[in-house]
Amino acid sequence: MATNFRLTCYLCGHEHRAVRLSPGQKAVCVRCDAVLAKGSRLGPDTALAFSLTGLILSVPAIFLPFIAAGKLGDLRISRVLTGVGGFWDRGLAGTGTLVLLCGCVLPLALLASLAVLHAPARLGFRQRTDFGSLYRAARILEHWAIPEVQVLAVLVALMKLGSLVDVTIGPGFWCYCGMAVSLLVAEHSFDFDTTSPFPAAAENAPEAAP
Amino acid sequence: MNLASMRTRFRSNTHAAALALAAAAMLVPAQLLPVLSTESSGRNRTDTIFSGAKELWHQGLWAIAIIVFVASILIPVLKLAGLAWLLFKARGGAPANPRRLTRIYAALDFIGRWSMLDVFLAAFLTGLVQFGELSTVEPRGGIVAFAAAVVLTIMATQAFDPRVLWRDSASLPS
Repeated sequence: MATNFRLTCYLCGHEHRAVRLSPGQKAVCVRCDAVLAKGSRLGPDTALAFSLTGLILSVPAIFLPFIAAGKLGDLRISRVLTGVGGFWDRGLAGTGTLVLLCGCVLPLALLASLAVLHAPARLGFRQRTDFGSLYRAARILEHWAIPEVQVLAVLVALMKLGSLVDVTIGPGFWCYCGMAVSLLVAEHSFDFDTTSPFPAAAENAPEAAP
Repeated sequence: MNLASMRTRFRSNTHAAALALAAAAMLVPAQLLPVLSTESSGRNRTDTIFSGAKELWHQGLWAIAIIVFVASILIPVLKLAGLAWLLFKARGGAPANPRRLTRIYAALDFIGRWSMLDVFLAAFLTGLVQFGELSTVEPRGGIVAFAAAVVLTIMATQAFDPRVLWRDSASLPS
């Protein structure tokens, strides 16, 4: 079923009329095959539910111990921002800021944007402002919010450290992993029906192939 | 200026080419300069990205060595080569096989983020391994060059507009 929402392919710029997707269906660009949207198997509330889950998990992820490392009785507990502080203290403020942005600030901003984009329709508020800019901001943030890369980096570090020090994984790390997974699920269940970032109708545009 | 016009303004192949060149230049010190030095029980070693991956391989951590090699060496090089190829193909009008080239672009866009692995790794190790005389990890200048190279490659891919690969790109709204 076609809706009145315009869906522009983010790769080739081809315009489509958005279709309402059943769970498990994908909307594919008719011209370049890019996947434009997916109907979440978990229902229309998925994106909102997982973006809120991610936001909640980010609190313990930031404040609880991430990894504890011990060497001959000396114990050090690191949190997710300890590495950023380490870079700052050594004069690498720019690189530290990059780690802070890509690992914490931007994932949170993206989760918050996804929550704001989905909340009005899913929770029954009236949407007062146009969310077009927020939607475009979210599409840019997707490239810089990369908590999953930080998770892989920590796993690589743990393997590397195995012989050097004794390491224990703390609850903060598991919460961070949960946040990273929630972000990925929320990003991939973006619901065009309820968010309608581009309310302008494109009557003559072809429908995206389901 | 709103976000849409800002994005359009920064999206051009000239910008993409300039950013890709800057990234390529930055990749040289990033690969040649040491990124981390590790001191453990009096033994001190300073590693570049490549020697770090090689050391992991010698320790028998093959999977990790391959992950580091792919993320930090292979992906940045592949990404810049791919982007150069796309820029070459897109010069002076739309190429004959836009669908394939658009797929290549989507792939380049997806793999780029994994290069940040080494930056996260260095930050994490620097924060955690500080045991005074026993064992310490310190970052070295190469990591700054590497982080800059990764950021520049991501910016270059973002600046490239894949719509130029399609014939009617001129008539499309921005």
